[in-house]
Amino acid sequence: MKLKKITSFLCAAAMAAGMLLGNGTAVMAEEKAVSCQELGTPLADVRVRQALAYAIDLDAIVDSLFDGKAEKAISFTAPGDWLNAELPVYSYDPEKAKELLKEADWPSDYTLDVVYYYDDQQTVDLMTIIGQYWSEVGVKAQFRKLEGDLAAQLWVAPEDKENGPSAVKWDLAYAAVAALTESEFYNRFASTATNNSSVPLQEGLDELIAASNSTMDTDEQKEAFKQIQAYVAENELAMPLYHQVCFIYNSDDLDMAGSKVGNDQFSYEKNILDWNINREDKTLYTNGGPQEFFWYPMVNPGYMINTELIFDKLINADSSLNPTEGMLAESYSVSEDSLSIEFVLRDGLTWHDGEPLTAEDVKFTIELMLKTPGANAVATEVVQAITGAQDYLDGKSEDLAGVVVDGNKVTVQFDKIAANALQVFSQWPILPKHCLENADPATLQQDQFWQKPIGSGPFMVDEVVLNNYATLKRWDGYYKQGSGNIEKIYMFASGENDANLVKNASAGKIDYAWSKSTDDAKAIEELENMNVEVANIRYTRCFYINQFPHEANIK
Amino acid sequence: MSSLDRKMDKILAREEAGQIKKRMKNRALRKMFANRLSVAGIIIFVVILFMCCAAPLFTPYDATKVDLRSILQPPSAEHILGTDKIGRDIWARILFGGRVSIAVGLGSALIATVLGVSLGTIAGYKGGWLDGIVMKVSEIMMAFPQMILVLILVTITGQSLWNLIFIFSLTGWPSMYRMARSQMLSLREQEYVQALKAFGIGGMRIAFKHILPNAIGPIFVNITLSTAMFILQEAALSFLGLGVPLEVATWGNILNVAQDLTILKQAWWIWLPTGIAVTLFVISINFIGDGLRDATDPSQIG
Amino acid sequence: MTNYVIRKILSLIPMMLVLSFLIYLGIELMPGDAVDFLIPPDALSTMSETQLNEMRESLGLNDPFMVRYVKWLGGVLHGDFGYSLQSGVPVATLMKNHLPATIELTVTALIFSSIFGILFGVISALKKGSILDQMLSVVGMIGVAIPQFLLGLICINAFALHLNLLPVGGRMASMDQNFFERLPYLIMPALVLGFSLTSGVMRYARGSMLDSMGKDYMKTARAKGIPEWRLNLLHGLRAALTPVVVLIGFRLPMLIGGAVVIEEVFQWPGIGALFVDSVRAQNTPLVMMIGFFSVLLVLISSIIVDIVTAALDPRIKLS
Repeated sequence: MKLKKITSFLCAAAMAAGMLLGNGTAVMAEEKAVSCQELGTPLADVRVRQALAYAIDLDAIVDSLFDGKAEKAISFTAPGDWLNAELPVYSYDPEKAKELLKEADWPSDYTLDVVYYYDDQQTVDLMTIIGQYWSEVGVKAQFRKLEGDLAAQLWVAPEDKENGPSAVKWDLAYAAVAALTESEFYNRFASTATNNSSVPLQEGLDELIAASNSTMDTDEQKEAFKQIQAYVAENELAMPLYHQVCFIYNSDDLDMAGSKVGNDQFSYEKNILDWNINREDKTLYTNGGPQEFFWYPMVNPGYMINTELIFDKLINADSSLNPTEGMLAESYSVSEDSLSIEFVLRDGLTWHDGEPLTAEDVKFTIELMLKTPGANAVATEVVQAITGAQDYLDGKSEDLAGVVVDGNKVTVQFDKIAANALQVFSQWPILPKHCLENADPATLQQDQFWQKPIGSGPFMVDEVVLNNYATLKRWDGYYKQGSGNIEKIYMFASGENDANLVKNASAGKIDYAWSKSTDDAKAIEELENMNVEVANIRYTRCFYINQFPHEANIK
Repeated sequence: MSSLDRKMDKILAREEAGQIKKRMKNRALRKMFANRLSVAGIIIFVVILFMCCAAPLFTPYDATKVDLRSILQPPSAEHILGTDKIGRDIWARILFGGRVSIAVGLGSALIATVLGVSLGTIAGYKGGWLDGIVMKVSEIMMAFPQMILVLILVTITGQSLWNLIFIFSLTGWPSMYRMARSQMLSLREQEYVQALKAFGIGGMRIAFKHILPNAIGPIFVNITLSTAMFILQEAALSFLGLGVPLEVATWGNILNVAQDLTILKQAWWIWLPTGIAVTLFVISINFIGDGLRDATDPSQIG
Repeated sequence: MTNYVIRKILSLIPMMLVLSFLIYLGIELMPGDAVDFLIPPDALSTMSETQLNEMRESLGLNDPFMVRYVKWLGGVLHGDFGYSLQSGVPVATLMKNHLPATIELTVTALIFSSIFGILFGVISALKKGSILDQMLSVVGMIGVAIPQFLLGLICINAFALHLNLLPVGGRMASMDQNFFERLPYLIMPALVLGFSLTSGVMRYARGSMLDSMGKDYMKTARAKGIPEWRLNLLHGLRAALTPVVVLIGFRLPMLIGGAVVIEEVFQWPGIGALFVDSVRAQNTPLVMMIGFFSVLLVLISSIIVDIVTAALDPRIKLS
């Protein structure tokens, strides 16, 4: 009974709004008609998706659950000059939602299967609230937390990118996208994306996405992304919910010498060597110490503050993550055609253990990034664009032909324009060849190097008591000396979400830290000796909506 | 001499009429009710149990009803114990959460008891290979610290209410089994059992009807202890993020938000009443258990 | 006696074999595998199945179940406990790093609860029925009935944040600190962990003290004019100790279970916290080792209880 209703409505909807299913002509091929009778999803109807968005009062959620410390999202892109100002906004309007659902003939006995994979209280609370909003417009939903192999349950694209059926079971998936660049938000809507499990081929969208990736010119990029944003929003291909911000905490004892704070999810120049701490032991207290190991910078180069203190990059970045002057590289230059970058390394660079840091280390690191599975998408995209990358990966060549070492000069050549190359070289640090030469890239994180890593940054690892604390000490071999007095950095062990941050801060044992948790921010705001600053980051929470035909998961 | 004979005849007659057993029960109950603490325990237990079971009588609110316009409200006439971070009524959550927590604790304890006692009675009475196997299995289960075993099992089965009851039952039966079995072993060679056998009464009937009742006291004590333990374990698992899914209101899940220091410091109405409810309930169960132990222990004069 | 111990230990071997297989099977049955936890969930969306498989291969997760188990068992028999799937550190090293912390915590809690439990139990028995007796029993009851993590959080809030007397967590601030400098870190977790145990010990001590005070030989001794305090201390206490030792021995498993929670609350870097992490992350070699180890501890402690009981009570013979 239920299934019949869904399919009949779907067939009608598909014919009426054929465009949405991919191709609008009368060529509702026979197999397609068959699949239409067997499978479908009410979510293929844009009105249903819009109704679900209209039903949620995001302003109220942001004000209450997030204490006003998050931003309601109208697009994946956060407000600013990358955001298209004329996007349709699905503001809270339950009447409109009911109307749209009625128009779309929403099957009232259908129960949405909504999945999430975070196990924090806030996520569960958010799901509860949204469930209630939906039930108020007559949409039933069940929420469940996914366990086990998440990638296989969430991000498997169907074989047929046009008609499905879906390779995943859920109706909606709550997820977060942390992006270094805008492309990370939108590349996954392309029908060619291997992780696109929810959006069928859209007419014209693939071309828009391709255009956004083929230019290094910021203005052209912005224009391209604004078009994509409009396409995604008008068709509500996914439902952005809110943007998280980054909270940066510092204590009154810390004088940051006027450094600007920024997106601490990634690394940027903080001039920490100029910072002064008003403690007798000249120690700066922070978190992010290793629990099991120091995080390797392949997936997330800024996972912990310590990464940017221990390791130097080729290029520096400012607090908005724009590449600035050289770091390990004394200078760098991009060729006219944007297809090659030349780095000139500083003289006399060494690693913390005294070994010289050479251009060979740079080449080694780039090769390692190429071979490490699961490295960050932007980084992978860039290193794969380097000349000879495929041959090197396939084992056809001994080394990566596109990276040429000449004394202390390194030239990186690309086959096609890598829009984010400079960002990548300003975020992903150079690793020591002499320590990691024999490491297996597939299990790089499990290499013993990460128990007590050796880098070339301003601070070197001193004591490590896993799961308790670790300390860094100022390294006098660094290429520049600051005016600050910090001799030691004491890091409490923690993961990305430090459950003990507020406790330690209350006890006066945090001088600098950051988190995305609104609860942390609220609690630390109230501490007398702590200050909270806010930085915008590209971090958007959303629902992906599975528009590929699939069976109702909850019967 | 003859007066003694007459007395014995009377006792025999009463036993045949089934009065002795009744007296025994009465005596245990009488002793139980003479113990002030266990009476207090029973009262608290019954009150909390009743209020949780009949939750809708005591609160107009639903435990899951979100109200974003009144979040983190301190106790007031409208919400007698205030509201939580998304505006749910705490009093309602305690009552409805109590249902789940008590069901998990008591339910698991009962299932474990039925399982353990039946196995213990059968295996203990029959002996032989069955007893050998069950004994080995129980030894293996009991070799684990309970919490370690529960954690492993939770990860295997995944987090859900039913899985938790299943896991608690699974980890709880061996102690019940041990107790029932030792009772069987010590009594099955007794003369009265031999006599019953001689009358041709079936083995299982003897085991369940004539030997098992001797263990009724320790069984009840064990049920109370297990219930208390499971309720606390449910809370501990919630804290570790491995308990009943967070969207279900349980005492453990309500308490869990005290991990947020702001809540711990400023919103005492969320965790303190819940903490008191849990503690009171567990104490009341322990009092009942103590009372039962004393009342059914024949070495104690009542 | 030696015979008894050897026989007991030998009987552990088949048991441990079965157990190890069961734990291994259990981890196998968990949904997903270690690779799913090595990559943060947000980053998983960018990885292909091929890449994930490469990682599985490299971690040796693609072998059939029995092959992996036999490999693991073979390793263990040669003293090689494998490597943590998360950090690649040898499991033996991890145990060596984390075990002292847990032992320090549980032993302190055990000593604390034994001393206070016996002390208060004896006092209660001597002052039977007094207000002190009743108060002690109520406090003891609360100790058993309050969820440990809640008590821990309340203590942190009170003693570390409000009064600023003790550190909020951790085990040490520097590797140079000796035991006494580290003591402030130990106090709260050990007290909270020991609190729940104290009341059990106390009740047992009280009961058996009362029991022994009523014994005939005590009456005889009293009639002989031995001072009351000496009587209580020498004869009463000695007789009262036996059941208490048994109780403490049997509570050891509970203590290990409790340590799991307490270590999380107080950021104590012991095997309890490690166990929770590795169970969540399906870090098979580590779960195996810790599970195995805790089982061994339980079994050994039961042997020790047997021996100590025999030593304290001449009537009991080990057989």
